This record gives sequence, structure tokens and C-alpha cells, in this order.
Amino acid sequence: MKRVVSVSLGSSSRDHKVVVDLLGEEIEIARRGTDGDFDRALEMLGELDGKVDAIGLGGIDVYLFVRQKRYAIRDGLKLMEAVKNTPVVDGSGLKNTLEREVVRVLAEETGLLKKGVRVLMVSSVDRFGMAEALSEMGCDVTYGDLIFTAGIPYAIKTVEELEEIANRILPEIIKMPFHMIYPTGKKQESQDEDKVRKFARFYHDAEVIAGDFHLIRRFMPAEMDSQTILTNTTTWNDIDFLRQKGAGALVTTTPEYEGRSFGTNVMEAALVAMLGKQLSEITAEDYLDLLGRLKFKPRILYFKT
Amino acid sequence: MATHLEITESLKTFTDNYSKNERLKIMNRDWDRVVLIKATDIESIHTLTLKDGVLSLNEGASGAPDLTVVSDSETLADVFYGDINPTEPYNNGTLRVMGSEDDITRLDFIILMIWGE
Repeated sequence: MKRVVSVSLGSSSRDHKVVVDLLGEEIEIARRGTDGDFDRALEMLGELDGKVDAIGLGGIDVYLFVRQKRYAIRDGLKLMEAVKNTPVVDGSGLKNTLEREVVRVLAEETGLLKKGVRVLMVSSVDRFGMAEALSEMGCDVTYGDLIFTAGIPYAIKTVEELEEIANRILPEIIKMPFHMIYPTGKKQESQDEDKVRKFARFYHDAEVIAGDFHLIRRFMPAEMDSQTILTNTTTWNDIDFLRQKGAGALVTTTPEYEGRSFGTNVMEAALVAMLGKQLSEITAEDYLDLLGRLKFKPRILYFKT
Repeated sequence: MATHLEITESLKTFTDNYSKNERLKIMNRDWDRVVLIKATDIESIHTLTLKDGVLSLNEGASGAPDLTVVSDSETLADVFYGDINPTEPYNNGTLRVMGSEDDITRLDFIILMIWGE
């Protein structure tokens, strides 16, 4: 049996282990959180190196893509470089392919996404593929990167402006301590009440809220009006949270196993383990082909009728 | 070592560039803050005041600061002239910024919006 482990800077309360059957092959998938403890993550990665078939890095991005440009977050790279023998991925390769595909599937097979739908992406540079796909479909997208990462209430409205701002600031932002730009550890279990109040209008004005779940959760106000949440990495508790806030539906881009959807880093690690190729040899087409054979579809959960 | 006058000039350049950037003024309409800039190796204190999106510069201390930026004179002049980005000196401790983490992050973004690549 192949083993895949995701080491996450997120909360250990979300730890989970399942054995799944993928195309007749049993794969044990585990997630281990370090509650924001960077050194513990480094230690854990060292222990796992060479002992499992693939490792995912969770609770942190390593690579951010802005069209063809790739930026590497310094803290994420440190974690990745701690692993010498086992393939290690952060999910960005899969996000760039899977999430474009999910947008297409939702448009073609459901009424949840269509031209003119108002979408709030709480962060876009960590899933530029989705950002581009939504824009290409003609959705009215608000890219909330400055709002929810820097606290600047400025709605970016085009992919072109997103690209211009990202290319201006990302070369330096990637050098910042990761906890300054993304909620890690216990912050993932609480809400930033000041910003929830301050930025509630962006959530209430949208029909679809898309992006990283920890960011969506940290800033989501009460009294949502049946909005669709397009994300991944949700647990039963997260589903209860969304239901209580008044969300209308949850779409997760990765499949559900035992009541929760794993992060893209976990799924990418599982695909890498299945492909059995060198990381440098794996292409987007390999992922798409395998996803097709696995019949991966987004999970859609409706809260209200 | 930079002089007080050089720091003043760098801050004027920074303020001028901010003021020419209409997008930045829109971005900061909600963020009224007083930022004290203090050199460690010479007698030099300045205050940047952001109100209703408009940035102004004063020599000396003026009002209770929300953020205090402390570094040697050369680093301060380099950062505010845009010769170096603030992240590296901040990470290695050459540049210290006191204030809430949210305010520090936002100040960093603003500087990058002016001087970024």
C-alpha cells in the first residue's frame, strides 16, 4: 500500500487518516497539522523523508503563479528543501489544472456559475487558474487579495490589474514571514471580528465566494444570503459553520473521503504517488488524464432548497 | 551614514510618489494613521500622517504614533527613496517597526505599491 502524508502548518484538530482505493490501488492518506509551529513541521518532514511515497505541504503555499510567472514563498521553500528523497508538492500544480476544470464543469453542468455571476475570490494569486477561468467565463469577479491579505478595502476588478499588482508586490511579499500574510495555526479556528464587520459588504454583495477556505472562514459575516462557497479542505465542522452563516451551497474542488475534502496538496501528493514518475517529468496533462480516469468531479452540497 | 536632510528628502520623495498615485489614495481612505520615523545613529525624527487617504510629512514628532519605524539613517533613506525594499532589512532586524501586525503588513504593502517592481 502506498502512503501519502500531508504536513500542514494548520491546526492539528483537523488531522485525519483514510485509506482510499484509487483505480484498484490502495493508498493511505494522512494529514498532520503542526498548529503553526514551523520548526515542528521541519522536524516532521525530516522524519517522513524517504519513508513515504509522496508528501504534501499544507497550510502554506510554496509556489504562486501569475500567468507564466512563478513566485516561490521563502518559508514554503525552506520546508520543501527539508525533504531530500521523497517527492514533495504544495498543491499548486493540481490547483492550476483541477480548478480550471471545476469552473468549466460547474458552468456546463450546474447553474451555479455563469456569465455575470458576482464572484468574490478572497485570494487569487494562490489559485490564478481559477481566477482566469472565472474571468474568461464572464463572471463579475472581485479579487480580494488586497482586502483580506493586507486589510486594504480595494476591490481588484480585472485579471489585468490583479496581474499588475501581483507582479509589483509579490517579489517582496514572498520574503515576508508567512504568518503575516496568511492565517496559520490557531488563527484558522477563529474569526477576525474587526475585519468581519469591516469587509462584510464584499461577502454580502457576492453570489459566489471562492478561494482558500481558511480565508473564507476567517472573514465570513453572519446573515449570508444563500451564497455558493467554492473551495476545498472542508470538514464537517466547516460545513456546520457555513450552514449557520447562511450559505446556500458548498462546492469542493477535491473529492470527499469520510466526510471531508482534503487539500489540493494532499490530492496532488496522491496523484504523484500513483503516477510513479519523477516530479520534473509530470505535466498538467498527466494530472488531467489521471483525474479523468478517476472520474474526479467537484462535490456539491446544497444547504437550502 | 545619511544626514537628517537626506532622510527628509527621501521622505518627501516618498510622499510625492504616494500623492501622485490616485489608486493608493483610494486604497487608504479608511486608514488614518500616524507613523513616526526615527533614526538610531543621528538625531532625526519625522512624522508621516495619513488622513482620508492624503499623506503629509512633518519634521519632528507630531501626535501619538500608531506605527514607529526605527533604523539607521542610511537604511531609512534607502527605503524611502525606494533604493531598497523594506522586507529584507525588516527580516534581518536592521529595520524595526512597532505597531499592530495588521498595520505593519499594510504599511509594507503601501511601500511596495510605490516602489515595487
